[in-house]
Amino acid sequence: MRKELEAQLAAQLRDEVVCVEKTDQRTIFIDVKREAIRRAVRIVTEAGGRYMCGVGYDNIARDGTLGMVHTFSMDHNDHFICVRTKAPAIDPVMESITPDLPSAGWSEREFMDMLGMQFTNHPKPKRLVLSDDWPAGIYPLRKEVPYDLVPPGAEDVAYQLDEAPPGTKIVPIGPFHPSLHEPEHFAVYVDGETIKGCDYRGFMTHRGIEKLCQTQVSYNEVPFIAERICGICGSVHATAFSQAVESAGGIKIPRRAEYIRTLMLEIERIHSHLLWLGVAGHLIGFDTVFMQAWRVREQLMWLCERLTGNRKTYGMVLIGGVRRDITPEIAEDIRRVVTNIEKELRVIHRAIEKDSSIHKRTKGVGTITKEDAIAWGLIGPVARARGVDIDARRDHPYAAYNDMKFDVPVLTDCDVWSTLVVRVLETYEAIRIIHQVLDKLPAGPIFVELKDKIPALRHAITTVEAPRGESTHYVITGEDNRPDRWRVRAPTYTNLQAVPLMLLNEQFGDFPIIMGSIDPCFSCTDRVAVIDMASGKARSMTKRELDFMSREQLQRG
Amino acid sequence: MWLTSKIKQILMVMKPGIVTLDYPGQPAPAPAAFRGQPVWDHHKCLGCGGCANHCPARCILTRDVCQELRVMLYDGSRCTYCGRCADVCPEDAITMSNNFQTACDDKNDITTRMELFMLTCQRCGRCYEMEKTNVIDRMELRGFRYDNLESRALIRQTTDTFSPEALAATEHHQRPSR
Repeated sequence: MRKELEAQLAAQLRDEVVCVEKTDQRTIFIDVKREAIRRAVRIVTEAGGRYMCGVGYDNIARDGTLGMVHTFSMDHNDHFICVRTKAPAIDPVMESITPDLPSAGWSEREFMDMLGMQFTNHPKPKRLVLSDDWPAGIYPLRKEVPYDLVPPGAEDVAYQLDEAPPGTKIVPIGPFHPSLHEPEHFAVYVDGETIKGCDYRGFMTHRGIEKLCQTQVSYNEVPFIAERICGICGSVHATAFSQAVESAGGIKIPRRAEYIRTLMLEIERIHSHLLWLGVAGHLIGFDTVFMQAWRVREQLMWLCERLTGNRKTYGMVLIGGVRRDITPEIAEDIRRVVTNIEKELRVIHRAIEKDSSIHKRTKGVGTITKEDAIAWGLIGPVARARGVDIDARRDHPYAAYNDMKFDVPVLTDCDVWSTLVVRVLETYEAIRIIHQVLDKLPAGPIFVELKDKIPALRHAITTVEAPRGESTHYVITGEDNRPDRWRVRAPTYTNLQAVPLMLLNEQFGDFPIIMGSIDPCFSCTDRVAVIDMASGKARSMTKRELDFMSREQLQRG
Repeated sequence: MWLTSKIKQILMVMKPGIVTLDYPGQPAPAPAAFRGQPVWDHHKCLGCGGCANHCPARCILTRDVCQELRVMLYDGSRCTYCGRCADVCPEDAITMSNNFQTACDDKNDITTRMELFMLTCQRCGRCYEMEKTNVIDRMELRGFRYDNLESRALIRQTTDTFSPEALAATEHHQRPSR
């Protein structure tokens, strides 16, 4: 793999390729000069690379440059390819790859904000992460900016929305809205009730976790903070971070610890999918599903309480292993609970699979073709419901997944209904994996003491299949017993970029469930403001009106 | 199809019935392995500060008021109940109780403050290295520490010998604000 790529790159880019190296079994790093970045990325994409994320890092103290890494996954032969380049900090300009790869748009915008990089020919060089009143010229991820800087606020700045297509009106949704769990702002352009476009302004709860972990805490405190990136896929982030550091430092953890990590990840998947099933039912106004799915989920929360000491944020994963062991009694307890969950989930599944009212709200809604799904780099159940057969557990096996037998459900209906079915089927698979883990659980220690110092400035990348899709972590190890750079790319980061495409030509009443189908986060305030652009008047819409609209939609469908 | 689904749904709801617990009417104790409010045993604690170094939420603070007196303060209002402090404690002075009902209107009610009388080591004043084999977890902050207990801020600065100036300087420490 490395040789073929190197030959291709050398033939096309000649001396603009600095080096091609393979750091471990699956990771290939390609260093190119910044002039050649776009062409190098094109070669990798043609070789079958699927874009994962971009990672910018500050290297000013060492050689006066800002680094940029574009990471790719080769799903068919288990490789990660990282195309690295750097630009001097006084002139941090490089060519944008977004015209070729639309899913790179956010990664590049993020580092325009956070590191002050500039990307030429970027189709939408607007602010993404920083707030509108953040002063220009302060780039928070640069090392010289303190982690606790609080610049003065300003009142007279606002985000400029994209221009609305002619003949449309703008419906702002959020920052607080019943179908959004976290503060995010969507400006939906509607013609009548048909959505004609959408602009997104989010990152309103950006907590600066990456900066915090790069400057304040030490390696083994990060897993606990990583766990709090997401309330639902906590173990995923802790595992991904730990694996990245273990991979960078060449730490081999005991096999039993890997099995226990697998177990926790699968328990989390069951939890997340049941939660999503309930929320999806709630979003289409079918609260019976919501109540029953969450009733089934509750016994899993109690199980986790007995197993890890907490209902969520399990705190099981550390660099070097896991914290709590699985005793035979608790193993029996796990088996009993998951068997019961499987039984009860089948009851729910049978009760809703042929329900025509659910079909009306979800079938043919939020469609996006397989080609578009690949072009936008969709991941997780959202992609698998569009016929894209990817799953990091199978394609890049980590923890104990290479010992597990499981199917990856893939459907080709391309709509919200198939994401629902994919998630339910995946829950059954997760239960199958849990039984296998408990059957095969090897004896031995669960934690390995770290004898050597973790070497500085090693790069490592890992992905972990979260319930919502793969979550990618990129770590550059540092000198002060903490990472020099830690980049987290959660699955929603990728999937949310394709939401405008999913919404296109859909009914406005379907917005909540389309949004919900990618499993972002939901919240509960009960009004949206409708602004009539023609008259300039704003009026509020109550929850009752929204419900009414959604019911009308149902009757029409 | 529609009707059979609805019948199935009615059965699905009827079978479990009402599952809501009568809490707080009936107490619902947490399991024994639960990670609830941490409890310090002041007889066992030797004031090493290992828990303070490893607290991801930085809610355990250490301040040396003088050579002989070290104050350890646990601020429960920020605690995430990860249990890392109990893991690293060399004397098992910290236990994670199964008390989860910690809501209160005064945060001093969930704050633990210990004043420990410290014996002085002849060599460096405060010497203790935790988990010697574990390089990643090695103790970072040794010596005399001056966290600001008033604004509940951890100050990552230590001195080898007790320094009244450092103590005075950190008393004026303020969190950043607009």
